[in-house]
Amino acid sequence: MSITTEVRPEPSVPPRSARGRVPGLSADRSVRSLLLVAALLPTAALVFLTYQMVKTAWPAVIFNGVSFFTTKTFTIGNLYATGTEVHHGYTAAKGASYGILPLVFGTLVSSFIAVTLAVPVSVGGAILLAERIPVRLQGVLGTFLELLAGIPSVVFGLWGVYTFGPVLSRTVFKWIAALHIPWFGGPAGAGQGLLTASLVLAVMIVPIIAATTRELVRSVPSISKEGAVALGLTSSETVRIVTIPFIRTGVVAASILGLARALGETIAVLIISGNFLNAFPHSIFDPFSTMASTIAAFLDSALTDSTGMAVHSLAEVGLVLLVITLVANLAGRMLTRRFSGAGLPVGRGV
Amino acid sequence: MIDTPAQVESRPTAPSVPAPEVPRQPRPERHPEEGTPDPVFRVKDLSFYYGPHQALRDVSIDIGAHEITAFIGPSGCGKTTFIRCLNRMNDLIPGARVEGEIDFEGRPLYGADIRAIDIRRRIGMVFQKPNPFPKSIYDNIALTPRRNGVKKSELDGLVEESLRRASLWDEVKDKLQQSAFSLSGGQQQRLCIARAIAVRPDVILMDEPCSALDPVATFRIEELMAELKGDYTIVIVTHNMQQAARVSDRTAFFTVDVSDQGRVGVLVEIGETSNIFTSPEDQRTEDYITGRFG
Ligand SMILES: Nc1ncnc2c1ncn2[C@@H]1O[C@H](COP(=O)(O)OP(=O)(O)O)[C@@H](O)[C@H]1O
Ligand SMILES: [Mg+2]
Repeated sequence: MSITTEVRPEPSVPPRSARGRVPGLSADRSVRSLLLVAALLPTAALVFLTYQMVKTAWPAVIFNGVSFFTTKTFTIGNLYATGTEVHHGYTAAKGASYGILPLVFGTLVSSFIAVTLAVPVSVGGAILLAERIPVRLQGVLGTFLELLAGIPSVVFGLWGVYTFGPVLSRTVFKWIAALHIPWFGGPAGAGQGLLTASLVLAVMIVPIIAATTRELVRSVPSISKEGAVALGLTSSETVRIVTIPFIRTGVVAASILGLARALGETIAVLIISGNFLNAFPHSIFDPFSTMASTIAAFLDSALTDSTGMAVHSLAEVGLVLLVITLVANLAGRMLTRRFSGAGLPVGRGV
Repeated sequence: MIDTPAQVESRPTAPSVPAPEVPRQPRPERHPEEGTPDPVFRVKDLSFYYGPHQALRDVSIDIGAHEITAFIGPSGCGKTTFIRCLNRMNDLIPGARVEGEIDFEGRPLYGADIRAIDIRRRIGMVFQKPNPFPKSIYDNIALTPRRNGVKKSELDGLVEESLRRASLWDEVKDKLQQSAFSLSGGQQQRLCIARAIAVRPDVILMDEPCSALDPVATFRIEELMAELKGDYTIVIVTHNMQQAARVSDRTAFFTVDVSDQGRVGVLVEIGETSNIFTSPEDQRTEDYITGRFG
């Protein structure tokens, strides 16, 4: 019966134009338009932002061409020298060269390491927090998790560069370097570099992933877990067989959130990275740079570039970062869809 | 619809039966007052506490092998609490405490040398709502046996056998790799029964297994229980008196005893199902089954 009413339009509902005059429906309509506005606002903001970025970056896109992505040197040139660089009809300061290859590399690698480290820690921690730890302690530890999420990133940066990094480089980094594994060798440095930055990023995104995962773990129906227990499975088997499949989709989504945070993190990375430009790091202990940190590092001097190309190029860096973040999100979505395939309760645990 | 004893005796009837008059004839070989000759569970003076709150007081029951024992009673009288004592599921509840004795196959269920995990492998459980694993139909059945050391070569056979016993095989044999969640509620519940059977338990506990199912699915589960009874001891909690009347050999009636100390679940009486429904000894049972209570 309900199906027929859904399929066939209800004759008693007045046509669209008359709706506003029907008492009771006008409120309904204003709520609906309010919701529509609320739903469209984020999309509109994203579109507007992208438009502004493209507009500002456009001269740089023409000036730099493909070499933006294929060269390693990023310099805004000598702002006090006479003469200019001209490409494709656009001018930049003498000696200016905008190549972001090492920055893309630094961004992707540091974020990837951070997420790889943070996901198992967060998921393991969240499961422990939600299932193993006595309820009274859960509250305290949960509060710490939320506090951790609220620490400003500059504090993480300072902590990383003054405490965490130096301590690690004197101990763990040295031991790893002594193993002479390619990419993990060489001098362990003073603590500013790719590994320290990745570790600090990991610490920063753990609360994001863990807090979401904790809620996911709590939302697993207890009757599902009891089903495993009643078959004589141990609690760790129950986690593996019931809890993890239930939360998997949501964990992927939370990890993407964490990844986006790591990709865009600016100030902490700027402080810890060693702000090393124009070349690739040779080992995981070497200083490096990311796109976000480079934008922050250059913005001040870029504003004094009378050709304006420095600012245009930084906008182009921002645009690329935006695209990378969007692509990561889309990839995450596709992954989420794949993970919620066979054997999984579709729509559950997201 | 059911008026003749023979009909009920042979198979469960459709669930739309009106009154719980049970025309089942008492089995000739046994009389209620004798109890059960060779009980699987022997429960003596069991009291159960959720922290300070007492949920059950002095329950004594024998549960016989290869028969179906039904627990009925008003909601909150401790049926779930009691059935979960039988496979030690209550161990998981913080602050919960058991007093009294439960012997399972002659050994104390809560003995120091007994591991709850081993107990649960011999006593299967089916829940109020179907709760298959978030895995394929095949894995739902095969997972626990595989973990318990059943050889890979024997798994396919075991899966088929378990699904056949749960009369689900014909419906799922072509889609064993599909998600268990793609099945209907009734099919999922039979899958859960098959999952329990695959571990080869001695006992199957069912806590209102049909409460989330439609009448047709309920009917199929009842049919299935009658078939399984030959091989398993079945204990079923139901708030549906007709169901207890249709499927069970013996029925235990629980109620809530209200006193100054609070509300505590107690066992009123247990006996042959036909006797409980036709000539209960206790007035409270009579009131309940005639609908004057709860
Ligand atoms: N986990 C629990 N913690 C505390 N009290 C509980 C818990 N489970 C059940 N109870 C209480 O124990 C009593 C019996 O409940 P239950 O065994 O679920 O009854 P029934 O299954 O007969 O409806 C009720 O008063 C209920 O509130
Ligand atoms: Mg109950």
